[in-house]
Order: sequence, then C-alpha cells, then structure tokens
Amino acid sequence: MFLQFLFISSAVLTVSCALGVLMVKNIMHSCVFLLGSLMGIAGLYATLGADFVAITQIMVYVGGVVILMLFAVMLTGGNDFVSRAQNLLGLPASMGNKWTYAIGLLVGVVFLLTNIQLIRGLTKALPVKTITNEFPSTVTQIGHLLVKDHVLAFEMSSVLLLGALVGAAIIARPRKQN
Amino acid sequence: MMSLASYLIISLILFVVGIVVMIARKNIVAILLGIELILNAAALNFVAYSRYVTNNLDGHIFSLFIIVIAAAEAAVGLAIVIRFFQIKETIHIDEATQLRN
Repeated sequence: MFLQFLFISSAVLTVSCALGVLMVKNIMHSCVFLLGSLMGIAGLYATLGADFVAITQIMVYVGGVVILMLFAVMLTGGNDFVSRAQNLLGLPASMGNKWTYAIGLLVGVVFLLTNIQLIRGLTKALPVKTITNEFPSTVTQIGHLLVKDHVLAFEMSSVLLLGALVGAAIIARPRKQN
Repeated sequence: MMSLASYLIISLILFVVGIVVMIARKNIVAILLGIELILNAAALNFVAYSRYVTNNLDGHIFSLFIIVIAAAEAAVGLAIVIRFFQIKETIHIDEATQLRN
C-alpha cells in the first residue's frame, strides 16, 4: 500500500516535472523542474528495491549535477532565447516546430516497438518472478559486485572522473586574449 | 499497477521529452538538461529490467556507472559552455560555428 502510494507520487512527480522542463520558457525554472524530475526518479528506484542507486541518484544528481547546471545558468546570464512567434502548442516558436514534435513522436514509437519485442521475448524465455513487497538491502551485494565482477569498469570510471575533472579545469580556465 | 510496463512507459515519456528538449531548445545548457533526462530514462530502464526480469544486480551496477558518466559529462559540458560564453558572449547554439568549413 505504501509502496503503491510512493510509486504513484514518484511517477506523477517525474512525468510532470519532465514536461515542465519541456514547456517552461525560463531556463532557471527548467533547471528546478529537472531537480524535481530527478527526485521522482530516485523515488522510482526506491520502489524498485534499489536503495543504493536511489541514494546515489539524490547525492550525485540533485546535490551535484543540478547545482552545477544552476551555476552555469547564472554564470552565462540565463538568457532563454524565446521569440515572439508561437508554434502549434502555443509556446514560443524557438521551443520547437512541428518537425521537432514529429521526431519526438517517431522516437517514442520506435522505443515502444523495441521494448514490446523485448518484453515478449523475455516473458517467453523466463518464468514470471514472484514479486514480494519486502526488499533486502543491496549495498553489500553491490559492494561485492563492484570489486569482483565489475572491478575493471570501476577503476576505469575513476580514471574517467579524474580526466574529466582535470579537463574541465583546463577548458574553463581563463586565458589572456592576444 | 506496479509492473514492468508502467516503468517502461515512464521511461519512454522521459526519453521523448529529453529528445524534444535537446532538439528544440536554443540554449546550450538546456540541451544538457535534455541529455540528463535521456540518461535517466536509460538508467531507469536498466533498474526496472533488473528487478522484473533478471534476479541479479547487474542493472543496478550499470545504473551507477550511468550516473558517474553523467556527472563527468555534465562537468566537461558545462566547462565548454562557460569557455564558449567567454569567447562569444552568448550561449545560443546557432553561434557555435567555428568548426564549420
């Protein structure tokens, strides 16, 4: 019961905030809507029994990435480049014309078709798993998996983060104009 | 109510919204917001399949690596955006034409 309440509230939060990212004109408000959407996804992870992923999502995304985005918006002036003309949804024309939404629709249909094929193939191959409402903690198992099966990806991601950090510092460094 | 299909539909909505944001917006930071939405849709799919189809935690591991790579991508992307703003004094995507020709 609580799980269903959490699922419904998280799903509504996720979808409505994602639509807010799409519809809102101000880029700052868009960032705040993205924050709500990521919190909703963390709630969905919790309903899937992925406690460690949910906490990591909140810590890294909400605490790191969105704050970084907000800083970038503030440093670059927050101009959102909207025009006076309107498109078919009543939004400014710079937020997409009919081709944009046609491409979005096409992508959605392709995504749906591939997933339908996947679900059909998987339900034929595997027996339906019984779903319980109690989740064991996954932290210990994830820790074991990270240092046993996936240790190469783990180390490579640490090198990637180091490279990204140094690269970002070098790229954003102020240079003298000559 | 809480089945694999409902998670896939949420992920589908996130993915399509991310694609439309990425195509439609003219602000480079807004394009990065669309990329974040797409990455989250993929990670949600991984965790949902890991719960409802397989019994192991490999989907969780994949989702964690997606989060790590998204953080690195956001850091480098925003550094590029700030550098671009220092040079061009705008972040309109149509101004990024240095590599043309």
